Amino acid sequence: MTRVWLVQILAVIRLEVKKTFFAKRGLWIYLLAFMPLALFVAHAIVLGHQNKDRDRIASESARPLTYQDLTSVTREMSREEITQRLGKPPISYAWDERREDTPGSSRLVICESYRYSDGANDLYIRLEDGKVVGTTLGQHESLGENTVVFAGVFQFFYLRLAIFFGCLGIFMNLFRGELLDKNLHFYFLAPIRRDVLMFAKYLSGLLAATVIFMTSEALQFIALCWSLDSNVRNAYLYHGHGFAHLAAYLGITALACVGYGSLFLAAGLWVRNPIIPAAVILIWEAMNPFLPTVLQKISVIYYLKSLCPVEIPASPDTPAIFAMLISNPEPIAAPIAIFGVILVSFAILVVSSRRVRRMEINYTTE
Amino acid sequence: MSGEITIENVSKFYGEVLGVNRVNLSIPPGITSLVGPNGAGKTTLMNLMTGLIQPTRGTIRILGHATDEPEKLFKLVGYSTQFDSFPKGLTGFQFIYLYLRLFGYEARTADELAWRAIERANLTDAAHRKVAAYSKGMRQRIRLAQSISHNPRVLILDEPLNGLDPLARAEMIAMFRSLAVDGCHVIISSHILHEVDIISDQVILLSNGYVVAEGQIQDVRNEIREHPAQILIRCSNQRQLASKLIESGLAIEVRTHEDGHGLLIKTGDADRFYLALNRLVQSGVDVESVLPADDDVNSVYEYLIGTEGAAV
Repeated sequence: MTRVWLVQILAVIRLEVKKTFFAKRGLWIYLLAFMPLALFVAHAIVLGHQNKDRDRIASESARPLTYQDLTSVTREMSREEITQRLGKPPISYAWDERREDTPGSSRLVICESYRYSDGANDLYIRLEDGKVVGTTLGQHESLGENTVVFAGVFQFFYLRLAIFFGCLGIFMNLFRGELLDKNLHFYFLAPIRRDVLMFAKYLSGLLAATVIFMTSEALQFIALCWSLDSNVRNAYLYHGHGFAHLAAYLGITALACVGYGSLFLAAGLWVRNPIIPAAVILIWEAMNPFLPTVLQKISVIYYLKSLCPVEIPASPDTPAIFAMLISNPEPIAAPIAIFGVILVSFAILVVSSRRVRRMEINYTTE
Repeated sequence: MSGEITIENVSKFYGEVLGVNRVNLSIPPGITSLVGPNGAGKTTLMNLMTGLIQPTRGTIRILGHATDEPEKLFKLVGYSTQFDSFPKGLTGFQFIYLYLRLFGYEARTADELAWRAIERANLTDAAHRKVAAYSKGMRQRIRLAQSISHNPRVLILDEPLNGLDPLARAEMIAMFRSLAVDGCHVIISSHILHEVDIISDQVILLSNGYVVAEGQIQDVRNEIREHPAQILIRCSNQRQLASKLIESGLAIEVRTHEDGHGLLIKTGDADRFYLALNRLVQSGVDVESVLPADDDVNSVYEYLIGTEGAAV
């Protein structure tokens, strides 16, 4: 019997995967999935240009500068003192400004802007009448900052919105879409157990969702690494947690597809309008940190949050609601979190299989 | 395994709307036609028999199997629905081949069965064209091909001749006959009564969700007492025969047939009438042939359901 089921499951997957991957109405899922990738690629390109610019400026300096050289410039320093310390500025601008000191009397101020770089950081100096009136140190983005930004995009956009709505689009259509297309009877007239059919459809949805979202996630990570300095990148990947972070993000993505997939497959069996379950589940997931511990466990995000490899630090300025969202006062151990998502999904699928067995084909009411 | 299809006290309500009510049927092998106007409950009954919908009350068993066990049921049953929709992007061959793969057949077996069904439906040339590009008749035929592709013992066909040209209709009817001869249950819904008359071994007449009659068409006709039986007698001396029949008191109405070559008799007791006619023939009245004139589906349908909806 198991062998027949396997052949049947493969037959369903073969039929479904083509529909899921190449459906015109699923184009928005690709857009949603690859939106952060576009963000990280754009960031990497901009950063690449900035780095080249810094390197060029550093190479044009009179002598190689250090970070200490750049921070040694203080207000009220004279033009001569600066050039003595840092050499002739590789980039400089000068212009005149007329200033009104007292009503009726004005004077001409000679303004200058110098830019130095040590190859990693930029120093912008503003001078008026030959004296430093202000400095800005543009520091190179650190690995820590980048990984926190990556974690933020993952947790707040990718996990809670992109994968959530992507799974909504993929899994709700597994049955609801077929009912709308008046095709479901094609499956129901075959000698396949309805619960086996449901499981096969779920697997095909899972395959599509994981391929789309894990590919995007992996590419986002590549874009992140691409934006890093080669030394930092090598240290991160080969001597730091780089690959462990990648594996964690991919694993969480797959688990999110497992969890949200089962939820939306079930929703598609009970509810005609996808907006209603989407809104209810979205609100439930968003409310999770504010719920009692027992209720928190009946959600997908509760388990996934604990698996995220990078914690997003909350500064004192962070609004309370965001601080609540990012806080994870009682993180769960990874095996429990993984088992939790799978258990919740399995329970939902068991309940759904009962529904599928009693499901009727009545296209006129759709 | 039971060899019959049994429907026991089955009712189906869509909310407060009646689909079928208190249906009790036992369908033997052969061609059985479900006849009735639109909304009579033909498709509902077929959907109930295939488990696409579940009865509100009652039980259905197809050759001993419950309809909520598709894994057993559809090894024996093929259903050609009226739903004119197909999975997107598939060719005719893929449509049947992938359906057969759902049965768990290996690729080679599925391939062979698919081609055999396509050949029987006369669609070999169009097999590799997308179903979306098929004409209505071709779509009907590919659905029929799908329903017979796994050699089912029960074939349920909802308006199977719709959209087919006369040649294709004749081919399909021949196919249904050969399946019935092989012991298959072929259940057909139709509102084209003269076709039903030609192909059916038995009929089930439905009206407003109720079964109003079932059985072989002549038996059904004989049970309709309130309508006198009509008999066409071909003879050389119509005048003599007419007067003798009126004298016998068994003919309610005697008139010349519209083609002028026979008498159309109405009688309230067909059995006694035939006995009297035998005596007349033995006494020397010349009779060429005797034919019942209203034991076809059309007449029965008209008597039981009325003319509305009866397309002839």
